[in-house]
Amino acid sequence: MTDIIEISVVAVGTFLAMSMFSTLYGKSNPLYVLAEESYIGFATGLTIIWNIDYIWKTGIVNIMGGDWVLIFSLILGAMMLFRVHPKYSYVARLPIAVVLGAQFGLSLRTIIFSGFTQQIQATIRPLFSGPTRTLLYNWTIVICVIFMLTFFFYTVEMEGLLGTSAKFGEYLLYIAFGAVFAQTFMGRLGLFVGFMQSYTIPDWETPYLIGSMLLVLGLVVYMDRAGLLEKLTPEE
Amino acid sequence: MAEILKNRQLQLVVMALSFLMVFLPYFLNIPALNTASTKLITITAIVTAFTVALAVIAQFRRGMNIINRRSRGWYFKVYMLVTLVLMLLFSLMGRESGPYHWVMYSVVNPLSSVNYGILAFYMASTCARAFRARNTKAMLLLLSGFIVLLYQAPLTGAFFPGIEPVALYLGDTFGFAAGRMFLISVTVGAIVFGVRVIMGNEPSVLGLGGEE
Amino acid sequence: MADESGGIMKLMAEYDRRYVYLILFLVVTIPLLSPIGMPISVSPDTRQYYGILQQVQPGDKVFFTLNTEFSGYNEIQSGIIATMRVLVEKNARICFGVAHVEATSIPELILKAVHDELEAKDYQYGRDYVILGYVMPNEAAVAAMAQDFQGSVTQDWLGRPIAGTFLDEIDDWQDWDLIADFTTGIQTTSLLNHFALRGTPMIVNCIGVMIPSQKPYVDTGVYLAILQSMRGGAELELLIGHPGPGLTAMDAFTFGHYMLILFIIIGNVGYLGYTRNAQRRAG
Repeated sequence: MTDIIEISVVAVGTFLAMSMFSTLYGKSNPLYVLAEESYIGFATGLTIIWNIDYIWKTGIVNIMGGDWVLIFSLILGAMMLFRVHPKYSYVARLPIAVVLGAQFGLSLRTIIFSGFTQQIQATIRPLFSGPTRTLLYNWTIVICVIFMLTFFFYTVEMEGLLGTSAKFGEYLLYIAFGAVFAQTFMGRLGLFVGFMQSYTIPDWETPYLIGSMLLVLGLVVYMDRAGLLEKLTPEE
Repeated sequence: MAEILKNRQLQLVVMALSFLMVFLPYFLNIPALNTASTKLITITAIVTAFTVALAVIAQFRRGMNIINRRSRGWYFKVYMLVTLVLMLLFSLMGRESGPYHWVMYSVVNPLSSVNYGILAFYMASTCARAFRARNTKAMLLLLSGFIVLLYQAPLTGAFFPGIEPVALYLGDTFGFAAGRMFLISVTVGAIVFGVRVIMGNEPSVLGLGGEE
Repeated sequence: MADESGGIMKLMAEYDRRYVYLILFLVVTIPLLSPIGMPISVSPDTRQYYGILQQVQPGDKVFFTLNTEFSGYNEIQSGIIATMRVLVEKNARICFGVAHVEATSIPELILKAVHDELEAKDYQYGRDYVILGYVMPNEAAVAAMAQDFQGSVTQDWLGRPIAGTFLDEIDDWQDWDLIADFTTGIQTTSLLNHFALRGTPMIVNCIGVMIPSQKPYVDTGVYLAILQSMRGGAELELLIGHPGPGLTAMDAFTFGHYMLILFIIIGNVGYLGYTRNAQRRAG
């Protein structure tokens, strides 16, 4: 037996979701803005809660447990907040320097390997021994990586052999983009299908989905015909 | 004190020291240094969490600006600020059930889903309208796109099993190579940019330049 | 006659995009309401992913990371739930961590979906699974967890101490037996760089957009396997013999793809039959 809370969750959820979809109608409307501002407000509140929670658990709880060094994190964090003050924004420079330095240290010490040396190493593949399918794959990958990279050389003149290489690389890129576009569409479609699944399974939720869709569409069309869209929609 | 905090050289030195404190211990196995480095990383994690407040303050300011000017639809901004405060209050009442739980499942989750789900529509209409076989390159793109799209639809593989090796070949070689190529390029760019910032050649990143 | 064919060609070249929206909505909704149950083949990547899961031993400590907003969960929930089923079947010990505030509600949904399996195996909170919540807000947080887990994480998502749970056995990156990452890209690169690059075994279930950027890491061996989007999740459900949201969605998935192909063909026919001729006449 579905209780009233569950029903209210589905009813409100489908109405707000369909309100957000109403932007597909082609004109701004107040229902879309209602949904948008609901999301912004609640999601921002959510972000604040969980970040305070993180600061509490990782910082304050550990300080109370004896890890006094972490007091610096609270001091630097408070200094960071001065960034928005027009007169005292320079106070935030020190924490920015600490954070930026550490972040660059974290990323540079690893991406050199994961994003560069290992990738080049992995591109060097056996080209003359192995099963036919593997050889075909290896040759294609090596050729593609080399010629695609030459397409992006902007510091030298693209002429002669380099120019031909870049041109060939461009054609290979278009084939690659076709495959990438298909995978991207699969991802986007999956997002939408997954959303629709959440309101068609179980079956009792479907009438709320269809009802909300019709209600929102009806309201938007009515407001459009009555000339209310312009009046009720906020300025951009 | 203000002069010390405004000092650009001090900022660059602090940044360089912070960088070295995190970078070097990764390669040198000195326990004391590792401990200090880990503490600095934890401090960085907490300080970065504070920066969310900057975004929230900006959001508040923008909202209050619209409300004060009484721009058309200003009441939506009032509504937004009210929902923000409500969410904070609801979280104090418990996160496993109650109003917080209700808001998560009836507002945040569905709207987050739509936020990205709507991209399927935009992508479908854009692709349908923009992908034209105008020249050889466009034809190549369309052809490889079609083959991979057909393979991704499960029904195709059931009736035309021959499409699978072709589609996998396109995705696992051309698509893969493009991904690797972009990864290498982006990594080199990131390394160069990082070095420039550490050397002090990118003042805008540090918030310098306009304020001095 | 010439006007008529020009009319049809013109319509095919310049139709209102709202028709695309409406038809996409219908081709997705109708199969979800009346599923057909189409056959599906399993790709080598999914077999590899499944193979890694099969190697999980009882008691293995698995870091189940949700690097996704709630919207991404809709796409990869089939992979998430199927993976969770296998891990519970293997009696793995599971620690949930999330990298986005919206994902804080996802562990609850996962546990609800595998409730029967958890009961059958007598999974206890603290002994067999823990929910840490939002512990990966940024790269530094991930790096801190990798180097000093006990120093950076002391409480679960509801503020209860994790002392006394199986997480007492975790000091740093070496102590995890597997990271199962479900991602739209938030802190996955951080996990890769600070855990997997050091040797922590890691598998990834990513959304479709990320596939080209993540596959190079499988090739270098940093990731052990990758599960691709909703289709990969459906294939995994087939492999484990437990149909779920992924397989149910494949009908809608199929028709959505065919719809796009059809509209592109229609547009190109219209382009060749009308737009190109109109451009030539004008030019």
